[in-house]
Amino acid sequence: MTTEMIRLVLVDGLMAAIAAIGFAVISNPPRNAIFVSAILAALGHALRFFLIKSGLEISLATFVAASFIGLLSILFARLIHCPAEVFSFPSLLPMIPGLFAYRTILSLIKFMQSTDAVKSQGFILDFFHNGMTALFILLALVVGVSLPILFFPKLSFSVTRKY
Amino acid sequence: MTDNPFNQEPTIEQTAVLLIDIASALMSSGAHTMRIIQNVSRMAETFGYELDLSVFQLSIMMTIINKENPGKLLTQVKKIKPLHLNFTIVSELSALSWETYDKHLPYDAVRSDYHKIISKKRMNSWLVLFLVSAANASFCGLFKGDFTAMAFVFFATFIGFSVRQEMMKKHINHLVTFTSSAFVASLLAGMGYVLHVGHTPEIALASSVLYLIPGVPLINSILDILQGHILTGIARLVNAVSLIVCIAIGLFTSMLILGLEKL
Repeated sequence: MTTEMIRLVLVDGLMAAIAAIGFAVISNPPRNAIFVSAILAALGHALRFFLIKSGLEISLATFVAASFIGLLSILFARLIHCPAEVFSFPSLLPMIPGLFAYRTILSLIKFMQSTDAVKSQGFILDFFHNGMTALFILLALVVGVSLPILFFPKLSFSVTRKY
Repeated sequence: MTDNPFNQEPTIEQTAVLLIDIASALMSSGAHTMRIIQNVSRMAETFGYELDLSVFQLSIMMTIINKENPGKLLTQVKKIKPLHLNFTIVSELSALSWETYDKHLPYDAVRSDYHKIISKKRMNSWLVLFLVSAANASFCGLFKGDFTAMAFVFFATFIGFSVRQEMMKKHINHLVTFTSSAFVASLLAGMGYVLHVGHTPEIALASSVLYLIPGVPLINSILDILQGHILTGIARLVNAVSLIVCIAIGLFTSMLILGLEKL
């Protein structure tokens, strides 16, 4: 692991943290939950970036990162007495496959307007490739983060209990 | 706790109204179905009632039964206000339900706490606007957009999100709100193409509308389905998908106007 790689991972984590703070405040969470979601987003996104650079496929890397966020969020939930989803949801948002979704729509528009049969086939390929990637990343995110909630239901529902 | 002579036992009607108010506040603040049922049942148990709850997208149906006298029961239906995410309410009502359970809080204390929680002010909307714009700009950076692209996205999100805030204040249909907000944001971000500045205008255009993606409803819907509340989950999913389609329509319209379909 070179210093360049470390720098890239750090920058990635920092930007993910800013993104998570911004998307968290839309849902008006408690103040301390905002900072936790920034930390979780930075760790999760940097982990995913590192896994992708190490050659893992993107949806699998997303799944690993999302389960990592899910596990950590239950730990933090016990610490600050706040339901886990309050900060685990915003910290997932930087991993939402927006660019793939955009390319899916774009290739659909190109297909609709194309008159050349050979080019049209290429656009259909683009459509399915980008669309499937977006779909699988989304599923990996949600299933990954909710696995800990499903495995430890008692724990995740009693985090706001103080006594 | 209720041995105070000035504190009368609450009637079954009063208890039912409080519990269904709490359930509908949780639903419109963005809690998932399992959490709503658990929180409200926990409170009902403390007050000496058994509770059955059905949660739908637009209404909640609830029956409470007196544990000592099962002949005494009451069924209520209540409308749910439109979704306005507020995780402070979810978190604090959840904590209140445990406090009620553990300390056997009386009805009056729970009711006044509930009113205190739901009347708390939201974060300053200008601060939210700034943070969302910064977030979307760094989102663009995550997708390898250059600084010009990030600046365009910041500006576009700022205007687009304020359009959304204003339209939400006027209670305009949420699908129309999302379409117009996406249209405005992508039109402004697409100026990078028109003015030929920066090397990654396509990333600016693509990430300009991402602040609108309904992440919480999407995750809630899958969580509901995984936990067996399939009907509510599907309702949330349809809602989230229709919002995404609206975002796509807004984006598509501004791409047509800017003449980007031939790229």
